[in-house]
Amino acid sequence: MPQFRTISAAATLSWLAACATSSATLVEQAAVPMTVVPVAKVEADLSAPDPWAAYWNASRPASFVLIAQPMVPPRPERVTTDGIQVQAIHDGTRVAFRLRWQDPEVSEAGRLGEYSDAVALQFPVANDRLPPVTMGASGMPVHIFHWRAQYQRDAERGKPDIKDLYPNASIDMYSMDFKDAAGGSKEEREQFNPGVAVGNPQSFRKSGVDEILAEGFTTSAVQTGHGAVARGEWKDGWWTVVIARPLVIEGGSTLREGAATSVAWAVWQGGEREVGSRKSVAINWVPLKVQ
Amino acid sequence: MPNVKNWQLGRDVAYPYPESRPKKQWAIVFDLNKCIACQTCSLACKTTWTSGKGQEYMFWNNVETKPWGGYPLAWDVRILEKLGRQDWAGNGEYLGKTLTEAAPPKEWVLHWEPTDEDWMYPNIGEDDCGGGTVDGGAHLPSLPHDKWFFYLPRTCAHCTYPACLAACPRKAIYKRDEDGIVLIDQLRCKGYGECVRACPYKKSMYNPYTRTSEKCIGCYPAVEQGMQPQCVVNCIGKIRVMGFISPPWRARADNPVDFLVHEKGLALPYYPQLGLEPNIYYIPPINADPGYLEQMFGPRVHEAVARYRALPSDPAAVGLLCLIGSTDRIIDRFEVKDGKASGYDADGKELVTVPVSEPVIERPAWDARIGAIRNNTP
Repeated sequence: MPQFRTISAAATLSWLAACATSSATLVEQAAVPMTVVPVAKVEADLSAPDPWAAYWNASRPASFVLIAQPMVPPRPERVTTDGIQVQAIHDGTRVAFRLRWQDPEVSEAGRLGEYSDAVALQFPVANDRLPPVTMGASGMPVHIFHWRAQYQRDAERGKPDIKDLYPNASIDMYSMDFKDAAGGSKEEREQFNPGVAVGNPQSFRKSGVDEILAEGFTTSAVQTGHGAVARGEWKDGWWTVVIARPLVIEGGSTLREGAATSVAWAVWQGGEREVGSRKSVAINWVPLKVQ
Repeated sequence: MPNVKNWQLGRDVAYPYPESRPKKQWAIVFDLNKCIACQTCSLACKTTWTSGKGQEYMFWNNVETKPWGGYPLAWDVRILEKLGRQDWAGNGEYLGKTLTEAAPPKEWVLHWEPTDEDWMYPNIGEDDCGGGTVDGGAHLPSLPHDKWFFYLPRTCAHCTYPACLAACPRKAIYKRDEDGIVLIDQLRCKGYGECVRACPYKKSMYNPYTRTSEKCIGCYPAVEQGMQPQCVVNCIGKIRVMGFISPPWRARADNPVDFLVHEKGLALPYYPQLGLEPNIYYIPPINADPGYLEQMFGPRVHEAVARYRALPSDPAAVGLLCLIGSTDRIIDRFEVKDGKASGYDADGKELVTVPVSEPVIERPAWDARIGAIRNNTP
């Protein structure tokens, strides 16, 4: 405990120092274990996510413990991400979360057997009765914002084609490409891309972050987005990802000044072949204090 | 814990879901003595289903040379090695563990995951012999010799207890009640690849372009019309037949698949010890190593080989084997009578009748009518 107090005191000092220093520079502050996430109000435009903006000085990083997803197989063999640092701010219309965790390498997926680094934020849809933190339950939906390095790659460089993934791949022809010559339609050409043909969101270029509603494991469904944006950067063994969303999303989750709500998170290490239910998750809901 | 009946193992096995057998079960029987690895089946499947982006490497149907071939690389050896000992009791009961029973505590099934490199050599080991090393070319001074290999054509086995279905965290995989075909819902699938990891036969494949997993669909649009799948009807060696298999307690001797599997014990499931009750069945190659065959098809393989050798005295079986490949339609019932084999559809309509023995006609070489010698040289 004395050690914890020392750390806590040091962190407080660094945070105070950060607040006092020039507002033009971001000072990376030591995170402290907390039981709530305060959401400070800032005078800033949060519509463009920026992990290195100085306005993050206004939010003290809180650290939280993660555990290997404990409920349903397939589960991770061990805890690959043991903690996450969280900062949160809002500008009156949008709320932004800055999430940091350790990951030894960047994994963007793409090829066979490759998986992406990812992080997700989860909010209850109804605040009066908290759904299970494990992705909600029937009649108790949760609202999820899922960032993947793979989705960010889509947003920045386009959805990879086979030649991007396998530069040396060679194929004589895709026979359906010649449908056009005979006056065929786009639908006919896409018959051999089943995911595309049926409109699976997974098969299309991503914006960086997926908005999802879920009522328990197996039920997550990608929604038409409400303008959530995200941006992540990997540096020196750490991912720093900002996810910004409107404070109020009708039909989804809402955050209001003074009103109680909660948040939870999950992290995937693509390099450890984590995907889907193989992930590190929050132990419980964490209250959000919108200031 | 064991909760579902697996007739191939003679005992109940553990499975995450309760037993729910479909009304009919899609099945293919392959006569491995007749396969020449021409890959017409692979190409028939490829041109029908997997000519799109992201499917370049996919062969929902493939043919590999055993013992050395494997697509993906060493798929069989890798899962067998993980599973450990696989013993059978004298009465045909399997004593070892199945993949679901051997699953680590945090998994649904015991599995391994192929990398992209494992998929890069679809025809590796082609025509390589088993039975000791062959240095500097085969020198086989006497017969019989100990060198052997055989071709193994493979599709999805549309298992009664699919590992892919058990492992999918999104429940995007389902088994159809009307024909037992196992499908991945392309709208629900999120490309987690759990089915690719879980299927021991490695017949679920990830599409890196659509970012969903795909697999053999049993040519269900054809099957719904009473037609056999593309890989079956295009087989030039006429080595395979698709039909519906009954569990042994409902077997019907005039159903071609039931006849070969249950009535005669000529056709056997492959790697039944994995516990999934796969529904592709093989008439074993009679000249391959018996130990290897036992590993692949279980202890009943020796009986099957003996029965195949005794085929000349079994007109019904010979007749059915002649019928195979003679119609594109699904044969519900067959009959062998007066030197002819006939197939009928589910409505009792005759599909085809073939002679069990082709008539042999001998002609003198000299054709007096035209005053010339005829021969068979084109």
